[in-house]
Amino acid sequence: MILEMKNIVKVYDRVVANKNVSITLEKGEILAIVGENGAGKSTLMKILYGLERPNSGEIYINGKKQVFRNPSDAMKQGIGMVQQHFMLFDTMTVTENIIYNNEISKGVFLDIDANRKKVRELSKRYMLEVDPDKLVKDCPVGVQQRIEILKILHQNADILIFDEPSSVLTPIEVDELLKTMKRLSNMGKSIILITHKLGEVMEVADRIVVMRDGEVVAEKRREETSIEELSYFMIGRQTTSPVIKDLEPCKEVLSVKNLSKVDESGKKLLGNINISVRGGEIVGIAGVSGNGQSELIKCITGLDTDYTGKIEVCGINVTNKGVGFIRKAGLAHIPEDRYYWGSAKEATIAENVLMGDENTERFSKKGLLNFREIRKHVYRIVENYGVKVSFLAQKMKELSGGNAQKLIVAREIEKKTPFLVACEPTRGIDVGAMEFIHEKLIEKRNNGGGILLISSELSEILKLSDRIYVIYEGRIEHEFTNKNLDSRKLGFLMLGGKTA
Amino acid sequence: MLFSIDYIATIINSTIRMMSPLLYASLAAAICAKADIFNLSMEGAMLVSAFFSIVVNYFTKSVVLSILAGVMASVLVSACVGFFVLKLKASPVVVGLAINNTVAGATTYLLYIIFNTRGVFTHPSLVGIPKIRLPFIEKTAVLSTIFSGLTLLDYMSFVIAILVYLFFYKTVIGYRIRAIGINSEAARSLGTPVEKYQFLTISFSGILCGFAGCLLSMGSVRLFIENITAGRGYIAMAANHLGKSHPIGVLFASLFFGCCQALGNFLQNTSLKTQITSSIPYVATILALIVFTVQKRYAKQKKMLEVFNKDAASS
Repeated sequence: MILEMKNIVKVYDRVVANKNVSITLEKGEILAIVGENGAGKSTLMKILYGLERPNSGEIYINGKKQVFRNPSDAMKQGIGMVQQHFMLFDTMTVTENIIYNNEISKGVFLDIDANRKKVRELSKRYMLEVDPDKLVKDCPVGVQQRIEILKILHQNADILIFDEPSSVLTPIEVDELLKTMKRLSNMGKSIILITHKLGEVMEVADRIVVMRDGEVVAEKRREETSIEELSYFMIGRQTTSPVIKDLEPCKEVLSVKNLSKVDESGKKLLGNINISVRGGEIVGIAGVSGNGQSELIKCITGLDTDYTGKIEVCGINVTNKGVGFIRKAGLAHIPEDRYYWGSAKEATIAENVLMGDENTERFSKKGLLNFREIRKHVYRIVENYGVKVSFLAQKMKELSGGNAQKLIVAREIEKKTPFLVACEPTRGIDVGAMEFIHEKLIEKRNNGGGILLISSELSEILKLSDRIYVIYEGRIEHEFTNKNLDSRKLGFLMLGGKTA
Repeated sequence: MLFSIDYIATIINSTIRMMSPLLYASLAAAICAKADIFNLSMEGAMLVSAFFSIVVNYFTKSVVLSILAGVMASVLVSACVGFFVLKLKASPVVVGLAINNTVAGATTYLLYIIFNTRGVFTHPSLVGIPKIRLPFIEKTAVLSTIFSGLTLLDYMSFVIAILVYLFFYKTVIGYRIRAIGINSEAARSLGTPVEKYQFLTISFSGILCGFAGCLLSMGSVRLFIENITAGRGYIAMAANHLGKSHPIGVLFASLFFGCCQALGNFLQNTSLKTQITSSIPYVATILALIVFTVQKRYAKQKKMLEVFNKDAASS
């Protein structure tokens, strides 16, 4: 046994995040820890990596008791973590990122050639291909993750923690990552995989620990369990699939004509995009992320006004107009990044729900906020959408990812606009919250709203959309109605394949 | 007559002398920016150095001790800022402004207490920093004008600019500090004592500001005037911005601002009002920043047009 965590207890202000959690890890084993958001799996890993200290409980590495006060302590004992949000220096080269803190030097000077050689060796040994001289910001996300993995391997880590590693990756990159994890475990590295994607778990894990509400509720070997059983343990009930009724689409709520955009360095980001969305339908945009989806959204929602072409929302010309104007025309927007665009982390829940509506007659009079009405509204939203909050003045950043996302979805749907742009509405959240958000989106459609859905999860697009556009390298050349669709053909087009 | 070679040589000489204190201060701003510290206390650090170097100069008549005192005072002030900003997590803007104002007030007050005078203090017994004479240059009249009256500290500013460059881009510690500036959270997660490195950086910036202060009070002149720095600390921040925090870029930016100050001084001898001439360096700062931004935007637009044209031609 290379690692044992025994009876870990961690209590935050109001919540018990870990109640007597014990796990073990063998050499060369892949252990998956699954659970919904807020189940306590991140807390457990933070304790193992020295970012948090437990209230009680012990950690043994190779049978010896250890106390980790900070990440350096954990690193010294051979523990490395690939964080969900990469910790990289993006204007530095790949080499400079990997060698940090373990540099080869000549006197006081950095020996860049020797370091580069070392990175090449490492990359060859673990079959993780990188270009040592490239700047990190020019590397795709999958490669950036490879750099993170190489970085902890360079620190001689034997226990590798992967925290939600696939949440930012494209399907091909995920395959690549799973292969890498298997290869590393065959080379004798022990791996802990934190995730809620059960498909991936069933593919790579040797053993699976399920956590719910801070406790371990099940521990299974992969052979003796199934996705259905695991998800039952995770959320404590059976999952259901939504009913989508047939609707006749009505008025056009979005029309984009000949939209093009070029970036500073002269690269073409969007080329002649033509799409339309009608009321009563969900239109999906399928594509590997980084193919222009973010740029398209920014143009449609007014976050970016620097483009050519014509955009109409609900029949009003909003070309090159800003966010305020477009929202007034009838747009609501669930942004891609729930913290960067979607909410203010330091503001309270009530303030976050109010955002965008603070100037309406309902919530303010003559520039003074009507707190009674605001509280009523926020309370109703929190109740109806099942957002787990302690009190309304709680800060946004204290909510778990799934709850924060639910709150943003609630805010945008409750604006009851004819048109909604939903970007990655369920990215990085658990099955329960995902189902709920899907239901709400379908409900909005059934009530006659038009939704443009952008998601890097093809399954999500296929499940919800009436119509699907495929985006590839900033161009949309294919359109399908979602009936008897061949998902393999769709995947082929997403990678730039041409139909005969 | 106005544009004789001699006249130009004198302007160049004046430019170098105006530039070197600015270069020190801009380098101080640049290393702080590289380490992700927002430091606007260069003004205060220079002022305190200028003051204490003159005080020690008056009592000891030793240039070395004066410079040492100036540098130490400046390091102390910078370390104070570091303590407030890095350890106590105070707002860097508030701390910077507070320090600058406190130093301005304290030097004025101490000037009165120690020398019983207001505004300006000078004394025949004060010793300036020795001028360096380069025999091989003095043979040519023009060159000797250009390099006349320069001190060791003036020459050293250029050397230090190059040393700072080597430190940041070639050494291990420099590389780590740059990394902190790019993503301090990532550096922390790898076990780097971020605040320690930042504290050392801001303290070192104090040494540079110390040299700048000594040059102001004991370089070309030997006196202390209230607010002798006259906003050079803020101009240094602009120079840092213009030079993109790169030591060599900052060198050229300081050259530009030094030149503006020299021109301002020379035009005082013409019929122009002093209020106008003395505002030249500051107006130049604003203009330079505007031109810098506009030019950046223009370059971007040009690139976009190129692509569209290429597209139109190909389709």
